[in-house]
Amino acid sequence: MSARRTTPSLTRSAARILDLSLGQMLWSRRSVFLGLLLGFPVLLAIALRTIDILYRSGMWRQVNGVKMGGAAIFGMMIWLLYIRFIVPVLGVFYGTSLIADEVDDKTITYLFTRPIPRSAVLLGKYLAYLVCTILLVLPSVMIVFFLIVPIAGGSIAAAFPSLLVDFGMLAAGLAAYGAVFALVGTRIKRPLIVGLVFAFGWEPAVLLFPGYLKRLTVAYYLQALVTHEMPQDSAVSLLMQVFREVPSVSVSLAALAVIIAGTLWSASRAVEHKEYVLEQ
Amino acid sequence: MNASAPVVGAEHLSKWYGQVIGLNDVTLSVPPGITGLLGPNGAGKSTFMKLITGQLKPSKGSVTVLGEPIWGNPALYFRIGFCPEQDAFYERMTGLEWVTALARLNGLSESDAAATARRGLEMVDLLDAADKKIGAYSKGMRQRVKMAQALAHEPQLLILDEPLSGMDPIMRRKTIRMIKEWGRAGKSIIVSSHILHEIESMTANILLINQGRILAEGNVHQIRDLIDEHPHTVYIKADQTRALARAFLAHDDVLSLRFEDQAVVVQTGRPDAFYARLTDLAASGELGAIHEVTSPDDNLQAVFQYLVKT
Repeated sequence: MSARRTTPSLTRSAARILDLSLGQMLWSRRSVFLGLLLGFPVLLAIALRTIDILYRSGMWRQVNGVKMGGAAIFGMMIWLLYIRFIVPVLGVFYGTSLIADEVDDKTITYLFTRPIPRSAVLLGKYLAYLVCTILLVLPSVMIVFFLIVPIAGGSIAAAFPSLLVDFGMLAAGLAAYGAVFALVGTRIKRPLIVGLVFAFGWEPAVLLFPGYLKRLTVAYYLQALVTHEMPQDSAVSLLMQVFREVPSVSVSLAALAVIIAGTLWSASRAVEHKEYVLEQ
Repeated sequence: MNASAPVVGAEHLSKWYGQVIGLNDVTLSVPPGITGLLGPNGAGKSTFMKLITGQLKPSKGSVTVLGEPIWGNPALYFRIGFCPEQDAFYERMTGLEWVTALARLNGLSESDAAATARRGLEMVDLLDAADKKIGAYSKGMRQRVKMAQALAHEPQLLILDEPLSGMDPIMRRKTIRMIKEWGRAGKSIIVSSHILHEIESMTANILLINQGRILAEGNVHQIRDLIDEHPHTVYIKADQTRALARAFLAHDDVLSLRFEDQAVVVQTGRPDAFYARLTDLAASGELGAIHEVTSPDDNLQAVFQYLVKT
């Protein structure tokens, strides 16, 4: 067993780290907390559905002066609640802590003294993050879909294909934000603060204005993937429509792929070369 | 790599953390077999351990393990097992799950990893508790499961950082016996401790470290020889301590002298000559009975304390 051997491949090693980390991540206190966060849209959906039942759908014609079906409300919730809030929050809290948690728990030693590339630890934990967050988000979105779409006589069957697109968009968002914040977590001090400022300061700010800066956000590319029609008759929505420059779906997908690959590559390089000094 | 080649070699090895020096210009070679790394807390043991396990990169100089540089060389971990000092685990996993998962990182299949893990747990006498969650383990069991993950893949070199910490006396004795057995089975082992009698009971080959420097290296006798070049303390319990003191002070090798309860404690620069005269005095009976002669330097603990004080 002590004869000269070559290390397992990066993908195989990452898969084993995923296997080792997933259970730890799923049952962590962070997941419990963020699971509760994902309960908020469900509670909101229950409230809206209750109102719909009580008022026989009549009130939905009053929203912004236009008729809103259940599919449109669901689309708004996907964009405003999930893509613009929950997905970045999940990305910040998990992504910045992929390696930091192991360092804080002092368990990183066991992983870094095994015959695998250090970058496999980061990639395996990133994959664990993706599986974990998708498993957290999926039930919440499904419940919201089945509660909201039938509002005002909406058809679940007709809206179902767009749900699949939404799942793809959510997965792309989780992948992109997770990779960006993994990079922040490996290269920057105080990554949580920097991550929150990026997600809830920088991105909303630059998306409001025309110009090239919005290309330095993840949300800019994600919004091209939104399939739902939004009500557009309010002053704010009309203003936003004027400034809204949405790239094509293919450009967005390519950009998101570049963001994911580039940030993960850079984060991996950082982990390969960084010394982690554990406090005694 | 031949059988007598050093398992660890360091050339002018230094490590500093900002302004703080962790290890200072250390040059050494650790031979095969069991080697004890001794030093008080903060001496630089942990820094040395982290450097030879590739967790830290040398600030200056070089370190090789089994003939190869360790930093950025993951393939070397097939041949190394490391038991860290920290009490850190995935608490929700059972001992078997944890050791299996880590064995899988060595490239083993699920079934081979499980068999390897069982063997490792058996070697540390923990197979009965293999299916218990680590969170429910006692301190001694946690130490043993750490050792199991280090040795399960049958490494050529085992590096154990304070492995006896927190163990009860019975487990401590068992573990010492295990480490000696592994040494006899041909493994090279580097074991650190800040308690000398622990190391003394495992090996005669020691490295003494303090303030980031290696104070001495070699076997106990070599270190004793080193000690003999320095003042040597002898405790003599006798009936006529003052008369004895007068006799001792007639010789210039006696450097200092003090009285304790019914005893005189002498510090000498030439212990051999001093002991020869003392034997003559005791045999003649001229200055009364000499009840007890001991030297705090006769055990390794005193050697260690003596050296780290210098």
